[in-house]
Amino acid sequence: MVLDVNQRILVFLLVSIGLITLPHINHMPMTVFSFFSLLLIWRFVCVWKTNYLPNKIIILLLVIVAVVLLYTQHKGFLGRDAGTNLFVTALGLKLLEIKKERDLYLISYLAFIVASTQFLYQQSILMAGYILFVCCVLIATLVSINSQKAATVSALKTATLIIFQALPISIVLFVLFPRVEAPRWMLFNHQNTAISGLSDSLEPGSISRLGLSDELVFRVKFAGKIPPPNQRYWRGPVFSWTNGKRWTESKNLFFKKNQHKVTYTGESYQYTLMMEPQDKRWVFALDMPSLYPDSVTKNALYQLINKDNPGKRAAYKITSFSQYNTGDITKTERKDNLQLPSDPSEKIIHLVTQLQGFEAPAERFIQSVLSHFKNENFYYTLTPPLMEENPIETFLFDTRYGFCSHYATAFVYLMRVAGLPARVVAGYQGGEHNKVGGFLEVRQANAHAWAEVWLKNKGWTRFDPTAAIAPERVEQDVNIDLQIATGLVNFSPANINVSRALSWMKSAKQLWSGIDYSWQRWVINYSTVNQSKFLSSLGINNISSMVQWLVASIALITCILAWTIFKTRQTKIAEELILYQRYCKKLARAGVYKKAGETAINFSIRVQHLRPDIAEEVKKITAIYIRLRYEQNLAKEDFILLKNKVASFKA
Amino acid sequence: MENVLKPLLDSANSIILGKEQQLKLAVCCLLAKGHLLIEDIPGVGKTTLSHTLARLLGLNYQRIQFTSDILPADIIGASIFDVENARFEFHPGPLFNQMILADEINRSTPKAQSALLEAMEEHQVTVEGKTYDLPRPFFVIATQNPSHQIGTFPLPESQLDRFLMRIELGYPDKRAERKLLVGRHRYSLIEELSVQLEPKQLANIQQQVTEVHASSALLDYLQDLIAYTRESTDYHCGLSPRAGLALLTAAKAWTYMDGRNAVLPDDIQAVLPSVAGHRLRSGSTDSDSIVAPLLNNVAVS
Repeated sequence: MVLDVNQRILVFLLVSIGLITLPHINHMPMTVFSFFSLLLIWRFVCVWKTNYLPNKIIILLLVIVAVVLLYTQHKGFLGRDAGTNLFVTALGLKLLEIKKERDLYLISYLAFIVASTQFLYQQSILMAGYILFVCCVLIATLVSINSQKAATVSALKTATLIIFQALPISIVLFVLFPRVEAPRWMLFNHQNTAISGLSDSLEPGSISRLGLSDELVFRVKFAGKIPPPNQRYWRGPVFSWTNGKRWTESKNLFFKKNQHKVTYTGESYQYTLMMEPQDKRWVFALDMPSLYPDSVTKNALYQLINKDNPGKRAAYKITSFSQYNTGDITKTERKDNLQLPSDPSEKIIHLVTQLQGFEAPAERFIQSVLSHFKNENFYYTLTPPLMEENPIETFLFDTRYGFCSHYATAFVYLMRVAGLPARVVAGYQGGEHNKVGGFLEVRQANAHAWAEVWLKNKGWTRFDPTAAIAPERVEQDVNIDLQIATGLVNFSPANINVSRALSWMKSAKQLWSGIDYSWQRWVINYSTVNQSKFLSSLGINNISSMVQWLVASIALITCILAWTIFKTRQTKIAEELILYQRYCKKLARAGVYKKAGETAINFSIRVQHLRPDIAEEVKKITAIYIRLRYEQNLAKEDFILLKNKVASFKA
Repeated sequence: MENVLKPLLDSANSIILGKEQQLKLAVCCLLAKGHLLIEDIPGVGKTTLSHTLARLLGLNYQRIQFTSDILPADIIGASIFDVENARFEFHPGPLFNQMILADEINRSTPKAQSALLEAMEEHQVTVEGKTYDLPRPFFVIATQNPSHQIGTFPLPESQLDRFLMRIELGYPDKRAERKLLVGRHRYSLIEELSVQLEPKQLANIQQQVTEVHASSALLDYLQDLIAYTRESTDYHCGLSPRAGLALLTAAKAWTYMDGRNAVLPDDIQAVLPSVAGHRLRSGSTDSDSIVAPLLNNVAVS
C-alpha cells in the first residue's frame, strides 16, 4: 500500500510514541496503560479510516474518563507516578486531536517529556540506550514533518546525524552544568520498587530464599588489596532476641552505652561500596568498619546504617579492619545475648554437658561444638526439610540438614545455654571478583548468617559454624551460577562440565557488569558532590569559573560545528543571485512572494499582473537578471545596471 | 531560426487542429534527435500527426502496424535465398525508413517491441552477423493505447526510457472539432502539403541545438530536479543519468525553437512533463500531475 505523505508521518509518529510508552508498562497501573493503548490503537486505525475519528463530544467524554481514572488510581495529580501517568494519558488524548501541523509538533514535544519520565524509574545503561533510540525515531518524525522528501531511512539517518551533532554539547552540559538533585517528592513510593534482600528478622528459610537469586546487592571496589574469600564477611543486621523460631534485632539497637571503643588491628582495607537501591537502610560494610562517611552511622551492633533515603544507588567510602577487639560488654548487652525463649530441654542440656559446655573454657567448648557439627553427619543444603516446631532441636537431633541460618542459630543457642553471650549476624559472605571492572560483586545468593560470641579479652568474636561443616562455602565462594542452574549448593570448581558451559556466559556477564559499573560510577553517581570533586580536580573550584568554562566550551563547540557546516556549504552564491534575492525581498515586504518552483519569468509576469504600477521596472530587472544568470557572454555593464536597478527599486 | 520552423509548425497546425503545444513538443523532440511516444485512445490523430510531420520534413515514411502476432523479421527484414545467385540476400524490412510510425506498439509481444527499441537506440540492426545501418535521420513515433485497454503488453520502464518524450493528444476542443467536422478529409490535405524543411536543413538545426548554452546556474537547477526525484518518496525510482541528459537536450531544442541561445529554467519546466512523465512512476498516470511536486518544490536557482 502506498501511503500518502501525511499518513506516513502519522504512522511514523504513532510508532515512535508506542515505542516511547512501552517501557512504562512496568510501572503504570494496568487500567491507565490499557486506556492509553486503546487511544493509540484507535488513532492508528484512523490513519486509514479517518471517519472513525471521535468528535468533540466524545473527546470531552474521554477526557472525563481519563481524569476519573487518574484520580482514582493516584488520589491526585502530584507525585512521580501520578505526574507520569498524567503526561502519558494527555499524550494519548492529544493524538485523537491532530488537526494542524502545530499539533504534530506539540505531540512530539510531549512525547519527549514522556520519554524522559522513564528515567524517574530506571536509570540503567540499557534504558538510556533505548530512550536514545526512541528519541532518534522521534527526531526522524520531526524530520519527516519538515521535508516532503526524506524516505524513512534517510529521515532516520538525518536524525542520527542530529543526535551526533548534539552529543558534544550535551556532554559539556552534563559535565559542567550545575547538577540539580532530583527533588524528594519525585521519589515518593520508590521503596516499593527496590529489591528485597535480607529481612529484619531471621526465620527458617529467609536466607535460603535468597540463595537462588543472582540479583546484585552491592559492588565493592578496593583501593588496595582485596581480602581473601574467608575474610569477606559483609556485616548486616545482628539478631539477639529469639522466640525459639524467629530471631529479631535487639531493642537496644542504638543504646549508646553499648557502643564500646573498638581497637583495630591487622590488615586494613579501603574500599568504595556501591549499594544497589534497596528497601532497608543497611550498608553492608566489611567486618569491621572503622572509617565511614558522614551519611552513615554505626549502631551499637557495629552495623552501618544509612541516615538518608535508601531508595537509590549510593556509594560509600569505607575503611575496615580484619581484626578487632570490641572490649567489654554492658549488663544490658549481656542480658540481651543470653536470652532464651524458655528453659532448655533435657536433650540440649545433655548435649552441652557432653560437649563440656559447663566446665571447659569458652574457646574449648566452641571448638567442640564446631567439631560436633563436622563429625556427626551434619549436611549443608540450600533446601532443608521444613522444621516448623522447635526448629533448633529438630535440626540438632533429627534432620541434621541445614543452611547457614540453621547452623548459626543452633550454634548461638548452644552458646547461650552454656552461658556465653552470643548472637546471630546476618549479611553477605564472599563476592565474585569481576576481572573486567576490578571489583567484587555481591549478589543475593551470597546471603549468609554466622555467629558472634563474646569472649573475655577478645570481645565479640566471629565464628562461622557453616565453615565447619562446609568450609568451601566460605573459603572458595559459592558458585552462584551452578547454584541457580541446579538448585543445589555447589562450590566451585566442582562439577566442571556445567561450569565450562557456563563459563563463557560468566565472562560475558562480567564484561557487562563492568560496563554497568562504569555507567553507575561515572554517569548515574555524578551528583552535586561528585561533580564538584571532579571539577576541582580539573582546577574548577567555584561557580563563576564553572560558568566561564561552560560558556567557553559551548562557544568552542558551536564554532567548530558552524565551521564544518559552513565548509560543506561553501559553494559561493553568485552575485546576481544576491541582487535578485534582494529584489525579491523588497517585493515580499510589499506582500508579493516568489514561490519556490517559480521561474524568474513566470514570477515577473505574475508581479506585472498584480502590480501594474511597477511592471516596467520588474520587466527590466528580470530581463537583466536572466541575461546575467543564464546567458553565455556576461557584460559588466549589465551587472552594474542590475545593481542600480535593484537599489532604486521600490515595491 | 524561427523563420525556418514557423512555416513548418503553421502547416502542421492547419492539419492537426488545436494541438499547438503537442505539435511544438513533437518537433522539439525531433530537433533533439529523440524518439516520440504518443499515448492516447484511438482516433485522436496520432497517425495523422506522424504522417503530417513526415510529409513536411520530406522524410521516407513507413507505418508499421504492431499486432499481437508480429515478428521481429516483419519489422527488421529477413534474408531470403536468391536462387539465381545461389546465396542468401537480405531484404530490409519497413524499419529501413527515415520516419517510422510504430502504431499501437503495446499490442505486440515484448519480442517484437524490443527488436524495434534496439534499433532505435543503436541506429543499426544486426541480422545473422551482418550489421546494417539505418537511414539518417531516423525518427520513430510510436503510439500506444492506454495500458488499461484490453490486449496490451505495457512497455517496461527500461524501454520507455528510450523515448525522449511521451505526449498525450487528448480530445480537441469544441471549436477545433467543429473545424475538423466541416473541413475536408485530412489525408487529402496531407497530400497537398509541401516539404517545409529539407533533411539537410534538419541535420543542420539538430547540430545547432547541441550548441545552445546551458549556464552552471541552469545545470544546478537541473541537478536539483534530478536529486529531488531520487530522494523523494513521491516516486518509486528517480531519474537516470540518461533521463537527465534527455531533459537537457530537449530543453535546448525548446530554447532553439523559441529563438534564444541560452536555456532558461522555463525551458526545462516546459519540457519536463513530457520528458520525465513516463520515466517517473507514481500514483498518477497523467504527466502533469506526476511532475507537479517537482515543479512546485524544487527551488529555481
